[in-house]
Amino acid sequence: MKYSYYPGCASHGTAVDYRSSVEAVFSRLGIGLEEVKNWNCCGALHVPDRTVKTALSARTLASAKGLDMATPCNLCYSNLMRARTELQDSTLRTRVNEALTEKYDGNTKPKHLLEVIVKDLGLPKLQEQVKKPLKIRAVPYYGCLLTRPENNFDSTENPRSLDDLILSLGAVPVKYYYKTKCCGGPILITNEDLALNLAKELLVMAKESGADCIVVTCPMCHLQLDAKQKEVESKYDIKIDLPVIYFTQLIGLAMGLDPKNLGLSQHLVPTDKLITKIGGK
Amino acid sequence: MKKESILPESRDTAFRDQVLKTHVGEKILTCMQCGTCAGSCPVSHEMDYTPRQLVRMVQLGLKKEVLSSNTIWICTTCFSCSVRCPRGIHPTELMEALKPIAVAEGITNKNAKFDNIFSNIIKNSGRASEFLLISRYSLAEPGMIKQLPFGLSMMTKGKLPLSIDRMENTGELEAIFKLGEPKKEINGIKEKETGKEKEPEPAKTEENKTAEAETKK
Ligand code: SF4
Ligand code: SF4
Repeated sequence: MKYSYYPGCASHGTAVDYRSSVEAVFSRLGIGLEEVKNWNCCGALHVPDRTVKTALSARTLASAKGLDMATPCNLCYSNLMRARTELQDSTLRTRVNEALTEKYDGNTKPKHLLEVIVKDLGLPKLQEQVKKPLKIRAVPYYGCLLTRPENNFDSTENPRSLDDLILSLGAVPVKYYYKTKCCGGPILITNEDLALNLAKELLVMAKESGADCIVVTCPMCHLQLDAKQKEVESKYDIKIDLPVIYFTQLIGLAMGLDPKNLGLSQHLVPTDKLITKIGGK
Repeated sequence: MKKESILPESRDTAFRDQVLKTHVGEKILTCMQCGTCAGSCPVSHEMDYTPRQLVRMVQLGLKKEVLSSNTIWICTTCFSCSVRCPRGIHPTELMEALKPIAVAEGITNKNAKFDNIFSNIIKNSGRASEFLLISRYSLAEPGMIKQLPFGLSMMTKGKLPLSIDRMENTGELEAIFKLGEPKKEINGIKEKETGKEKEPEPAKTEENKTAEAETKK
């Protein structure tokens, strides 16, 4: 199995821990991720001009060289999916292609890494690599843009893929009614109060479920729920202390990989208790 | 939140038509005010007008109220409204389409500032360096100084590199960003691309000019 790999900007910054775990886990699974050379930002949610944003994604999609394009980030995934749909309009495609050296032909299929594992690899195959079934309870948090506005692999309203993944690693996915509710990430810098309020609701609900951790699939969600968790605690005078880990880190732990190689020491909410509970180093 | 009553005189059909001509405009008139969007929205309680109200206000051409509301700026782009709307209206994309119009109208706020800084960074280096983004925005918004301890804690974890992440070759970016400027897009309006007409029709260009002239007033 081989994919063209689009890491997205966060992989080089706030999500370096995610990146380490992706590299460790995918190489163990024998899934090739060939990083796109000279890749550009997808525009996230902040490049206002539509055509420009579509062209940014088109440039990335054009570099896939006949492979499916895998990405670890919900935002990047959502943008690539949207661009792909819009570029079905041949006039727009022609116009966008005028700006590109390598032309986009409409064939590249964007995939989120979760989709690659759940659908392409398949959970039974993943289970073969599980050395240490995780006897924990975990909150499956999908965030908004993994399944919206469109995706190729799960339900928009009530996705199951992450629940199934957690289950296949020997852990229990808890019922979580906020699993696709927005974490507030996109407005964190500009409307912090409101963003923290959204994060608080998610964190409180997760805490009340009695879970040992929250599992995420996106650098933005991780930033909100992990890096900002302390601020939420002090702002609302509550205690959460709930580790937030990437789904690839969860897989890595179940494979018995060294938590250090999975970037788990780079989180702001300590993960030691969770790791001890799992029986890791 | 205090709302003034809206008078019929404040209707602006040119504005309504301008929005209807954007890539998401087509379906706006079919809104049946069911409120599914507002009920799905995680931030509607903080909005001056909920997504449902905003759609209605666009139908009515309430330009001033629409463009000066906080609604389009605190929308988190979560697409909850869009995937649920029974009429296939995409309120999310409506918000996106309204932003450039608001900016062209001279609306300045921190969100517009942030988007502008973000875009410029991408235009120049092709990638969003979080450090550059935060530091530039902090210069523009002095209140950001209270984020300093957070930035430092991220740095200690090795998650906020000071080096600027750039593409190796930013050659194509200029052409890509130029796509946002040409005549076909004025004030963020993209004329409907039917696949037939490549050149902008003179009539439509005229209308756009009028719309633009009006916004200047
Ligand atoms: S969900 Fe759609 S039809 Fe219903 S009020 Fe919102 S925009 Fe109108
Ligand atoms: S996309 Fe914006 S308007 Fe729609 S539900 Fe999300 S926050 Fe609300």
